[in-house]
Amino acid sequence: MKMSSMLPLLFSGLVFTGTAQAQAQALQYTLDPAHSWVHFEVLHFNTSTIRGRIGPIKGSVLLDPAAGRGDVRLVVPTATVSTGIAFFDTRLRQDDLLASAAYPEAYFVATRFTFKEGSVATLRGEFTWRGVSQPLQLTALRYACRRDDRADDKTGAPEEVCGGDFEGDVLRSEHGASFGLPLVANRVRLLVQVEGRRALAR
Amino acid sequence: MKKFVLALAAAASLACLAPAQAQTVTYTVDPTHTFVTWEALHFGTSTNRGRFDKKEGKVEIDRTAKTGKVDITIDMASISTGVAPFDGHLKSKDFFDVANHPTARFQASGLSFDGTNVAAVKGTLTLLGKTQPVELKASRFNCYDNPMLKREVCGGDFETTIQRSLFGSTYGLPGIPDNVRLLVQVEAVKQ
Repeated sequence: MKMSSMLPLLFSGLVFTGTAQAQAQALQYTLDPAHSWVHFEVLHFNTSTIRGRIGPIKGSVLLDPAAGRGDVRLVVPTATVSTGIAFFDTRLRQDDLLASAAYPEAYFVATRFTFKEGSVATLRGEFTWRGVSQPLQLTALRYACRRDDRADDKTGAPEEVCGGDFEGDVLRSEHGASFGLPLVANRVRLLVQVEGRRALAR
Repeated sequence: MKKFVLALAAAASLACLAPAQAQTVTYTVDPTHTFVTWEALHFGTSTNRGRFDKKEGKVEIDRTAKTGKVDITIDMASISTGVAPFDGHLKSKDFFDVANHPTARFQASGLSFDGTNVAAVKGTLTLLGKTQPVELKASRFNCYDNPMLKREVCGGDFETTIQRSLFGSTYGLPGIPDNVRLLVQVEAVKQ
């Protein structure tokens, strides 16, 4: 799915926002760019784990824990890939791997949530990478909300911060990224750090 | 990929200067597959991660006698979290004080084996000028013939958790946690 075909989805997210506010309980969070990243792990020659990060991730997050509902639309800018080795990053951006020129962004759109005692436990949706969409489930390794009274945002209002660590597995061959198989593994483990903020009444 | 092989070949030729020994095989750390990644919990909510991009080192292993030595030096100024102001704060006196302590060093001679594979590495970590015992445990270890280098490569994934306060790093405790998990990827090329 290309960016052009993705735009309606993002707009439908905005429409959902309007609807959600009317329904009173869904809360909208803004992702904190300092704490919203995708880290990935891939096994190299069955010996050691290659790690890298992509981000910060952007997008919209709506949560309604009481109703057990949520709507997450994440945008992952793949050209930001960083492994610590510059020529490795350049190689990863090429057409047979991240394909960052043809598909600058990957997307995760999820609307099927489970909650456990008010905390997000799992979210299922669709991961679109290299223009190929596949089902993906992210599972919370931890999740928490806290009040932040530092009030360092524009309004000076205290904020609620919710977030956690999530993990999921992608088989890269299912997205057409099969370069280097099987010496570099097919399974890519995603570790997603995410924190979202919303203003609270003063 | 060509550059990658050249970099490794250069590392390999430098290490050829090391004198040959009977059973001990010397490996030079492959900097493209050797990283220390750290994880620290952020306000009990999510995990902050970072890594150090510049490092060098040497590993000696005698898989028959089940002995070995590890000596790896990390350039602390090469810390990378993806967030520039965070990197700057981590390099300041509040945390790693890289102006006064530009490197960290892991030295070990306490290798334990599971069969012929390294299972754990007991040694010392020198950080912020303080030296403390640290044991790295292998979550995997393997040796393989690298088809591009035409040499044996050994490596694995290791991990440990350190208490930063033991090294005198106390800024922000306890909101910024004392426990920092270290995930170490290492591959080293036979010389």
